[in-house]
Amino acid sequence: MTNEACNDMAKIWKNQPTARVNISLEQLRRKAGKLQSRVLWRNLREYAAGALVIGTFGYMAWTIPPLLPRLGCALLIAGTFYILATLHKRGASAVVPAEMAFQTCIDFHRSELERQRDLLHSAWSWYLLPLVPGMTVFLVGLLVFTLQQPNAKAHASVIIAAFAFIAIFCAMVFLGIDRLNRWAARKLQDEIERLDVLTKES
Amino acid sequence: METESAIRTSRQDELYQEAAASHGSALERLVRGYEADPDRCRDLSQEIHLALWQSLARFDRRCSLRTWVYRVAHNVAASHVIRDHRRNSRTLVGLETVEVQAVVEDREQMLDQRQAIERLLQLIQQLKPLDRQVILSRLEDMDAASIAEITGISPGNVATKIHRIKNILARRFYEGGIHDERSLQ
Repeated sequence: MTNEACNDMAKIWKNQPTARVNISLEQLRRKAGKLQSRVLWRNLREYAAGALVIGTFGYMAWTIPPLLPRLGCALLIAGTFYILATLHKRGASAVVPAEMAFQTCIDFHRSELERQRDLLHSAWSWYLLPLVPGMTVFLVGLLVFTLQQPNAKAHASVIIAAFAFIAIFCAMVFLGIDRLNRWAARKLQDEIERLDVLTKES
Repeated sequence: METESAIRTSRQDELYQEAAASHGSALERLVRGYEADPDRCRDLSQEIHLALWQSLARFDRRCSLRTWVYRVAHNVAASHVIRDHRRNSRTLVGLETVEVQAVVEDREQMLDQRQAIERLLQLIQQLKPLDRQVILSRLEDMDAASIAEITGISPGNVATKIHRIKNILARRFYEGGIHDERSLQ
């Protein structure tokens, strides 16, 4: 039954109707060109978003009078530069097609899982952490500046509570993102360990 | 210098044409094993052809053209599955837990070509990439040594997997329902 069933399956599999994809060499060259421009546009979009953040905080650092929020703006700009540089570096290390042929499926699969695990695991350090000092200094500076205003003393507790709420909310969002990323990274690590068992058996 | 580059490009084009002519149909079947949606199937197929053509610029005959083609195709498709899996949180399973939804009435009914192929695809598309690579290669009549060269699993391990696949799929395919396969391991 087993061999017969398998032969049946192989026969059915090979006789299935398939729409043959005919791609000319010219189409392939065009597609490769399009792919390159898509990557270029994606990079440009990321840089444009970074430029917008840098422009906004640069303007604020230039125009607002108190020193601490200005320092916060400068730190946020530095953090954004760091994120952009990391994105640029990661984009440059994308897989090239020939690597797919040099590696066996198990090696390629493992390296892809590792790449994604590391990306998720390190998101805290390169995507979130660079913005923390700037945001902290900016919020503290803004709080100090607000408390120095003439009528602020009467509402000091409300102002502090409002700033504390904003700070806690930001921290919760950051920690939530980090927790989710670490959970996903752990799942990928389990998958990698299962592949390792298979490699050791080989 | 320019002539050298032109020769390389023409060699790459020739290799691609040879690969597409010899393995084009098998690649289309492989794509169906990885993607159920017809539109995304076409996209994946084009992605594989593009990666294959690009990769052939560095084909150095350290392995056969067939092994090269299947490695590229399976690796592109596996990346597609991982991306899709992360986006849709779809659960992929090992050979031991694969199951089909409908129960088959009899074998004649199963041999109805279209129904049978849908059923087979339903089974394959639930599998984790590595199990899928083994079964898809086996369905293309590859022997354990060739599958081992493509996947990187040892021939002995491939043979064990194939044996397990035969048992599990034969049961799932013809009998339907869910069985406890732990006894097969």
